[in-house]
Amino acid sequence: MRGLRGWLRILAVLVILVAIGTAVVFPEAAVRGLQLPLLAIFSTTRMVIAYLLSLVFAIAYGYTAATNKRASVIMLPVLDILQSVPILGFFPPALLFFVAAFQGHPLGIEFAVVFLIFTSMSWNMAFGVYESLSTIPVDLEAAAASFGLRGWLRFRLLAFPAAIPKLVYNSILSWSNGWFFLIASETFTAFGQTYTRPGLGSFIANAGLSNDTAGIALGIGVLAAVVLALDTVVWRPLSVWSERFRMETTTGREVSRPPGLYERFRWLPRFPRMRQTFLAAVRPIGEAYHRASVRLDRVYSSHRRVVREIRLLDLALFLVILFLVVSAGILGLVKLFFGPLPADAGTIPVAAVSSFLRLAAAYGIALAWTIPVAAWIGRNPRSSRFVTPILEVFASLPATALLPVIVGFALFLVSSAGAAGELAAILIVLFSMQWYLLFNLIAGVRGIPGDLDDVARSFGLRGATYWRRVLLPAMVPSLLTGSITAWGAGWNALIVSEYIPFLPGPPRLNGLGYLMDVATFVTHDNTMLLLTILAMIAVVLSLNKLVWRPLLKRASAKYRLEV
Amino acid sequence: MSPPLLEVKNVSKSYFENGKEFKVLDLVRFELSERDFVCVVGPSGCGKSTLLRIIVGLDEPTSGQVLFEGQPIRADNPQVAMVFQSFALFPWLTITQNVELGLEAQGKPPEERRKIAQKFIEAVGLTGFENAFPRELSGGMKQRVGIARALAIEPLLLCMDEPFSSLDPLTAQNLRDEILQLWANPDLPPKAVLMVTHAIEEAVYMADRIIVLSSRPGRMIAELQIDLPRPRNRKEPEFYGWVDEIYSLIV
Repeated sequence: MRGLRGWLRILAVLVILVAIGTAVVFPEAAVRGLQLPLLAIFSTTRMVIAYLLSLVFAIAYGYTAATNKRASVIMLPVLDILQSVPILGFFPPALLFFVAAFQGHPLGIEFAVVFLIFTSMSWNMAFGVYESLSTIPVDLEAAAASFGLRGWLRFRLLAFPAAIPKLVYNSILSWSNGWFFLIASETFTAFGQTYTRPGLGSFIANAGLSNDTAGIALGIGVLAAVVLALDTVVWRPLSVWSERFRMETTTGREVSRPPGLYERFRWLPRFPRMRQTFLAAVRPIGEAYHRASVRLDRVYSSHRRVVREIRLLDLALFLVILFLVVSAGILGLVKLFFGPLPADAGTIPVAAVSSFLRLAAAYGIALAWTIPVAAWIGRNPRSSRFVTPILEVFASLPATALLPVIVGFALFLVSSAGAAGELAAILIVLFSMQWYLLFNLIAGVRGIPGDLDDVARSFGLRGATYWRRVLLPAMVPSLLTGSITAWGAGWNALIVSEYIPFLPGPPRLNGLGYLMDVATFVTHDNTMLLLTILAMIAVVLSLNKLVWRPLLKRASAKYRLEV
Repeated sequence: MSPPLLEVKNVSKSYFENGKEFKVLDLVRFELSERDFVCVVGPSGCGKSTLLRIIVGLDEPTSGQVLFEGQPIRADNPQVAMVFQSFALFPWLTITQNVELGLEAQGKPPEERRKIAQKFIEAVGLTGFENAFPRELSGGMKQRVGIARALAIEPLLLCMDEPFSSLDPLTAQNLRDEILQLWANPDLPPKAVLMVTHAIEEAVYMADRIIVLSSRPGRMIAELQIDLPRPRNRKEPEFYGWVDEIYSLIV
């Protein structure tokens, strides 16, 4: 392992070489490249704001749902629906709302972008908080109660730490989700006008529109660098740190921890010295937090009644605002969508079927390559050491950023614009689906207990029999969890994939995503938009409830490997 | 005359499922005074742990009452501390922070907390592990932390819910002797101990008085005064006499 300086030196040399090379070959691109760091900062800032909002929301929502039985009766189903709704379904209405509210001011669009990223991040985080709070061991709760932990102290010492592992795990997931939607939402056309907010996403999209190969490559390169850098300095240390907050089993026996959804971070350098400097720099924040919380504890315990009154007042205020917002929203919706069914509403069922077939095709391709590759990587950790990082760099790139590359590739393969559009759509869906499958399956294969493998080997199970009796059954649970996430991501990718602005000729793909885009951006037909969103929600929810959940239930009963 | 430390008055507990009543405890009544070491024994599923949860105020009885120093019991009563079968240590807190838990809830200043915690960490023989995390300790050491945490709030009554049953036999026996040693020192808390167990031998080895519960619903079969001299010898016929008597009561 090299020290920090060694790594930095290599990195610096690489960056300088690439920069000089680019400047010589494409002088124009070099000039434009100078603005990229700034654009990266803009994009990242949007992500950070949306993430912080999601964090606050997730903790508040999850905590309330877990501690307030009466509220949870409503809160859980609502969260369940929100979680399965394709996030981009929120985008057109949100866009209309924010653009209208700010009368086209750029600030409104910034709000819309941040809101979209927020919706892509917060639901699973809230569920994570709820799940971890409702699975706190009974004895630990009893200990907290009998030693008198109450209010803020109980939250600080019991509830919040208990939620950390799942919160961090879901944050990593949410963060990569966020990139996908950030890139998709930085530039769009509505009301006959193109709105662009400066950022990496709009940079790549513009480069794609003007067939600027160097620009596309530069944009994607910078994006990859930003994503990987954040993984290295933020998510990896966080996920290592969160291990400390995992519950132990009562038996005291060492139980191997459940395999992560992502096999990520294994190969990233840890930069120990840099981390220490960073920790030293943020230590005052932690100390201030501790001092503040001690003071808060004291306030809580000495003014219990005042605190309760403040909370009641808070609640009343919240209810009033909620009532105002909801009634305004309902009024607006009634006004907007009051009218006869549009003539092309009949196309929705056909569109739903063709969207589904597109997803199924991409899913089939993804399964065909991920199962053997996952089996190989999972069983040969040594020889796959060099493959994993490459796969991860690809996986870290949001499919939306690869849009220009994928379209170019599709056009290169097929000459007719229609077929190329179809191929590009399937490829985009494939790129947003396959990584969930791959990394889940790898974790599944790695999770096979050594004993089981030894038994199989000692009885001479080999080849097809080994696959049928050991490998495939062991993969089933992780295949299903991966499939659920993959299909969710696939539905999200539909809106991007079925309406690609820089394909030659009018994009003509029949599908729900296409209908939604046309209704929002071309015909401004709000009734059609609402109907399409509802159709999509109905399809996704029924697939989840009728196919995935029952399968997962049966699989986890039959194939779960107990350690 | 002052009231006894703890009064359990005709406590019954039922669970209701689909309109059907499942009785877990039926009219349990006993008292605890200062310097009492009482064990509740019974077959598994007789509601021993439920009884203990009711006694410390974590559960409500369906009927009956639990009085502590003449007042109805409350879960956060700082005079009562609890030791758990599963240790129930907070995995994200160090040993010192775990031991300080109850003191922190009482709002004691940090320096005082640290001093008290240090004293009890020493008392259970864990000096040197102050900054370790629970997962780095063996089962026996974890339960020592649990005991130190309970003693640190200097309770009048110490309640233990099968404290030794997730430890290996050798560790469990060492820890039993250590607890009896701590108990023999009148300068250290608590003033009384109430322990729940399914191991009859363990109860005879440790308790002054044994309350025997029947299997579901838990009814009191007997209340026995164990007048064997301490330290007790498991090989003596009198010891075995007690064990056999309780055994025949339960079966």
